[in-house]
Amino acid sequence: MKFFLSLFGTLALILFLDRSWTVGYTRIPPLGKFLDPLSGFWQNCEPNNHIGPEDLRVNGLKQKVIVQYDSLLIPHIFATDEEDLYIAQGFVTAQHRLWQMEFQVMAAAGRLSSILGPGPDNAFVEYDRRQRRLGLPFAAQNAAEMMIQDPVQKRMLERYTDGINRYIASLRYKDLPLEYKLMDYEPEPWSVLKCGLLLKSMAQTLNMGDKDVEMTNALKLFGKEMVDLLYPDPDCDIDPIVNNPGGWNFGAENLATDSREIAKGLVGINAAPKSNPDLGSNNWAVSGSRTATGAPILCNDPHLDTSLPSIWFAVHLNGPGVNVMGVSIPGSPGVIIGFNDSIAWGVTNAQRDLVDWYKITYQDVNRDRYLLDGEWKPAEKKVEEIVVRGGATVYDTVIYTHWGPVPYDRNFKGEEGLSDYAFRWIAHDPSKEATTFYKLNRAKNFNDFMEALDHYASPAQNFVFASVSGDIAIRIQGKFPVRRKDEGKFVLDGSKSSNGWNAFIPFEQNIMEKNPPRGFVSSANQYPVDSTYPYYITATEYEAYRNRRINNVLRRLNGITVTDMMRLQNDNYNLHAAETLPFLLSQLAIDTAALRDEGPEGIALIEAYRKLATWDYFNDKDSEGASYFQAWWDDFYPRLWDEMLEHPFSLARPSEYNTVKLLKENRISMFYDIQSTETRESLRDLVRTSFATSVARIQKWKEDRELSRVRWADYKDTYVRHLARIEALGYHVQHGGHANAVNASGRIHGPSWRMIVSLEKTGIKAYGVYPGGQSGNPGSYHYSDMLDAWSNGRYYRLVFPKRPEEMQPHMFYETDLNPREKEN
Amino acid sequence: MKKFIIQVVVIALLAYMLELFLPWWSVAIAAVFGGLFLRSDANFWAGFCGIGAMWFSAALIIDITSSGDLAEKVAAIMHINETLLIIVTTLIGALVGGMASYTGSLVTRKKPAGAA
Repeated sequence: MKFFLSLFGTLALILFLDRSWTVGYTRIPPLGKFLDPLSGFWQNCEPNNHIGPEDLRVNGLKQKVIVQYDSLLIPHIFATDEEDLYIAQGFVTAQHRLWQMEFQVMAAAGRLSSILGPGPDNAFVEYDRRQRRLGLPFAAQNAAEMMIQDPVQKRMLERYTDGINRYIASLRYKDLPLEYKLMDYEPEPWSVLKCGLLLKSMAQTLNMGDKDVEMTNALKLFGKEMVDLLYPDPDCDIDPIVNNPGGWNFGAENLATDSREIAKGLVGINAAPKSNPDLGSNNWAVSGSRTATGAPILCNDPHLDTSLPSIWFAVHLNGPGVNVMGVSIPGSPGVIIGFNDSIAWGVTNAQRDLVDWYKITYQDVNRDRYLLDGEWKPAEKKVEEIVVRGGATVYDTVIYTHWGPVPYDRNFKGEEGLSDYAFRWIAHDPSKEATTFYKLNRAKNFNDFMEALDHYASPAQNFVFASVSGDIAIRIQGKFPVRRKDEGKFVLDGSKSSNGWNAFIPFEQNIMEKNPPRGFVSSANQYPVDSTYPYYITATEYEAYRNRRINNVLRRLNGITVTDMMRLQNDNYNLHAAETLPFLLSQLAIDTAALRDEGPEGIALIEAYRKLATWDYFNDKDSEGASYFQAWWDDFYPRLWDEMLEHPFSLARPSEYNTVKLLKENRISMFYDIQSTETRESLRDLVRTSFATSVARIQKWKEDRELSRVRWADYKDTYVRHLARIEALGYHVQHGGHANAVNASGRIHGPSWRMIVSLEKTGIKAYGVYPGGQSGNPGSYHYSDMLDAWSNGRYYRLVFPKRPEEMQPHMFYETDLNPREKEN
Repeated sequence: MKKFIIQVVVIALLAYMLELFLPWWSVAIAAVFGGLFLRSDANFWAGFCGIGAMWFSAALIIDITSSGDLAEKVAAIMHINETLLIIVTTLIGALVGGMASYTGSLVTRKKPAGAA
């Protein structure tokens, strides 16, 4: 009896410690499994100078592949067969980033609740439903089907997929990335569809911006004249990406001039997720005529979430006909931003409206048919199955129309408005971007670059180019609908197919520029082109500051060196502040004598005023003026536009740039009044109240932290957070910069990869750094080893050998991937 | 006493070897074995000390030689500190080991099966 009791107790204890438990919304990992030092999380703690295995057998390889790591853990992959190269890239990427690549795909596909459970207030289920309803899996499916029609693309994607799956198959519990152990689940096989999901997830981040609902409401509430004043188009065309007046000599596509019909009535709160307007990028290339060496220099820094494991994975691929290095997106083959022996390229996001909403009229409550061109067309109903960990599977019916899916209806956030509007998004269309990167990786010159881009549709990007042979160029590439004036700004009537995107700008008519006289090309998400370009262009918002700072600096510099470019990428000059602060200070007209008598609060105001008045507009780490200005603006801007923010219907604030412009021109006095007060405020009241409030907020901030100074790096508090938002796995970093400065570092986003390439005839010299590290393992030294260099504006020289033998002096360790001698 | 020490050492070594091939709960197999074939006066404590010591030293060695501070981070995730994390790790192994070796010692040998 005693024996059975004891046996039962032991087994019960083991079972209890072998599974995870949820307490509230927190999942507690299986304690026995997780804490076992020989297979649990302890095995993810890498010893000092940890080196990987010397030899591995990888099924499917034809020849031996040599993988040499440098001191940053960047793999230099040397293969003698093209298919082997992509198997190796997949395998090696998975070795370091498996959890991240799968988790990103799960999020894109709307499958998070299968890993995380329903979440607080069903948050993960709602997130998953939204992804499905926006048609992310639909878009990825379309892309994947298109990709495998092209034999080269198909081979690359399938071999890369094989490589990932070979790695997954080799894993035991002990080898799993930490996050799988923490959240208690296991990786599933990779697929080409997942590569497509990653691409579409990128498009969602970059190309899903729209404010059609807000603009429609503004049109109805304020009238056309006010809309044109508040939201002009272009918002600011001071320094477009390509300025080539009269240079657009081609027969542009024309559409009938009648404008499209705007849907009737006000539209309720917009539930659509926005692309973050603070996400942007810089890129530029300077011609050899402007540089010290006579060779072109190309620079790029895409601004994305600063997250860990890092968004980018640096890699060097060497195989038949290719020797390319740069950064890849874990889960996608090839190099996305980088250089080879002959050329370098980089990207910034192209600001363009690529989203439209169409009001759907159903025949009856069954929603089986909807009106299109006078006929009742059948609606396609797709049932989405959402598996929920620890809960019942959720089934959700999504209606697909001529335009695309209908995300918001009576079953999903319908009460919040946008109900029964179909969602037209460029990324739903089939496309084959993998071909572009395959060809860019192998491009030898400008013509190869142009040809590679002819395969690229979405997400639309400003591609910058430079070659060893001396060319520089920029091309804005994407699939862009031909739009009539004001088209795309407002929600549309979905009952007429003529309201749709019935023509696209031919790729050869996209905006581009090669070797311009000014000796450089550049882009920073600003308005793309001069007013003589024959197509109408609109977007949610254009960048107004970084682009001018970059161009001003580039115009001024001569005999440009790599060091100059490093300085420019890390430039913290806040042009928005420089254009705004003197105006605000003049309105403030502070009376120091009177304030001095008001005690500590008055003294704080004087001190703030003094720091602002002497500030040099640089958002450097130690700057206090930067903090005071930011606090002031953060209070003033919403206070001015309270009419928009407090309106029951969703409205958009005019851009920062246009706000300042209209203030200086004194054209928006009707907005100065604060709606919630009895009195009628003037601009001066607004400026003074917001100044006092913001200074009080900073005083409180200082008291809470027991700090005597409000340094910008502390106030901004750059946070490189873990992808699954696990607090302990992120880092707070001391870093300057601002979304409106070239060093566009905000709190949780910023330059996610800084790259500078000098294309010298004697050999490419390249430098790079990103906020994180090559390893996805939080227990590795290489999880965050570049963070310090990144936050201090330092770079690493990238080792770029042509042959394995040249790697010797730089080598950290080597792993040989060997084919199986005999396949069973 | 000598018997006990041998029992502890054998359980620890056997558990280590089994864990090279089997999941974490294989430590229980080692402890049952030690309780069954190497009986002492303190069978529970033999498994407790054997597995506890093995897990403690493994965790400690990893912690000392590791390049990063993952143990500290995992401790933070679990709202405890690093020392406590090592203690919890040790105790979990020890408890499973102790109960298993005790169970092993209760098997009455040379009697028909099922006659408890």
